[in-house]
Amino acid sequence: MHKLRDAPGDLEEGLSRQLEAIARGRMVYVLGLGNTDRADDGAGVIVAERLKKDFPSFSFSEHDGVEGTVLDISEKGGDAVVFFVDAANLNLAPGEIRVVRRERINDREITTHRVAVALMAAVLDKAGIDSAVICIQPRATEFRGAVSEPVTQAIRTVESALKSLLAKRNA
Amino acid sequence: MRELSIENLARVEGHGGISVTLDGKKVKSVTLDIHEGPRLIEQLVKGMTPADDLNVIPRICAICTLSHRYAAIRGLEKALGIKPPEKTQLTRDLMMLGENVESNSLHTYLLALPDFLGYPSAIAMLNDHGDDVKRALRLKKFGNHVMAVTSGRIVHGENPILGGFGKYPSRKALEEIKMKSHELVPDAARAVEIFASLDYPKYSEAEMTFMSVNAPGKKYGFAGDSILISNGKEVDAEDYKKLTNERVVSHSFAKRSLYQDKTFTVGAAARLINMGKRLDGQAADLFKEHYSDAWRKNPLYNNLAQAIEMTWSLEQMPDACDRITALEDPPIEQPTRTTGSGTGAVEAPRGVLYHHYEVKNGLIDVADIITPTAQNLDDIEKHLKLTAERMLAEDKQDEEVRLGLEMVARSYDPCISCATHLVTLKRV
Repeated sequence: MHKLRDAPGDLEEGLSRQLEAIARGRMVYVLGLGNTDRADDGAGVIVAERLKKDFPSFSFSEHDGVEGTVLDISEKGGDAVVFFVDAANLNLAPGEIRVVRRERINDREITTHRVAVALMAAVLDKAGIDSAVICIQPRATEFRGAVSEPVTQAIRTVESALKSLLAKRNA
Repeated sequence: MRELSIENLARVEGHGGISVTLDGKKVKSVTLDIHEGPRLIEQLVKGMTPADDLNVIPRICAICTLSHRYAAIRGLEKALGIKPPEKTQLTRDLMMLGENVESNSLHTYLLALPDFLGYPSAIAMLNDHGDDVKRALRLKKFGNHVMAVTSGRIVHGENPILGGFGKYPSRKALEEIKMKSHELVPDAARAVEIFASLDYPKYSEAEMTFMSVNAPGKKYGFAGDSILISNGKEVDAEDYKKLTNERVVSHSFAKRSLYQDKTFTVGAAARLINMGKRLDGQAADLFKEHYSDAWRKNPLYNNLAQAIEMTWSLEQMPDACDRITALEDPPIEQPTRTTGSGTGAVEAPRGVLYHHYEVKNGLIDVADIITPTAQNLDDIEKHLKLTAERMLAEDKQDEEVRLGLEMVARSYDPCISCATHLVTLKRV
């Protein structure tokens, strides 16, 4: 029988499967990116900060210094994968989630606020560490705005999927 | 007529582009187009208390967040009659040293260097120059650490407040900064070695005027109450409007500045040209060795200036830490009045930053912020036009011209988000 639409649990299950397939039994790190001053743009930071409560050595956000965190992980080495979580405009419906593998991370560097994700992924790759970006489609990114409802739901879905993965892989 | 465009100038902060309109080999116009929308922060803070203002104002920028906060603090403290204690001043100096290392390391090694070495990005540099990329990341990480120790957080720290600090850095944290800063000096000096060894294209050369904040006590530094101009004049920071003469242009959300109807430059090169003789330590030796008259004509030397300055910032940290440690934590100085006005002038990594406030009965009545990039925009366009004209006169291909223009724009380390306000070549 064909499903007419996904239920929330289906979305999380699908995301969990994708993340498991990338992690393949390796140690997992989470690095949340974005700007919490700009509504949905802070989605990645919110996910990472929530996960940090249970996994303080494995979940980091923009607030911890992204370059320093990447440098530390790359110098630690080991069999690991870093999941960057970030709001990304992919022209999807607000709150939709996509996982972009390291090979497909766009290398455009349009900001000096911090080093581009592609450079961080390349630094990790050089140290033998895999990475991927979990992208959440934002709806609103206005200054001092509230996180939108679909992105709030997406944050819960990503948080839950990563929480299960971190519990399994980093126990 | 045709247009040579760089719709989104990469490796700068914010969204902008460069448009060059050409008629044959003749350059009709060059515009630095700002795509960032206005954020109207000056209006947003009107009616707020000075303390609330401090929590909003740094949001203008996440990289020079502490410069914005410090400029606002200086302006508001003047307005409210607050005189910060010595330990507060020293801790603010340390915070600015951290931001300088954080920003200059990123710009020199990762944003500017790929152009000179012939790589499209720092990512492409990784195979051949992996150690330099790691140096940049180490320096940036450390700069961020100093910012976090002093301001409470890496970005938008709220520990620096009017009249003092919420909490002063611990002896242990200062000891760590002292040790680590000493260890990292060779990483900064390596940036000087690289940028001093490069060939700087001369297409953009023209006479320039430089402005920088005059650090007190005839010392090098990042804050002060007067402005030094490379023509030998010194102007009180309260007279900043006479120096900047802001105006609006149609192609940009950023206002523009001219001094005596001429463009001027702010940034690391301006600081070293105006105050380089005040440097000490290895940075002084590096400045003496590498400074030349070309610095006064060619904006590309700003990269070398940033590298020398980053070395100086690291060298200053041990002494700053010792001096802070030697002093007891002072109480927070309270306002002595509720109505007044004041202008805070600091050196953000990109140049002079002004925050002017008028406070009435304890609430912000007027806020006026003039960022370094907004002051540099006319100067950038002037040097872009010269570059385009001279490269086209030598029959350079469009791709070479684009790269030449991007290198000039990037050398200013522009922060478009701050300026709220990069190449299109249009041929007619």
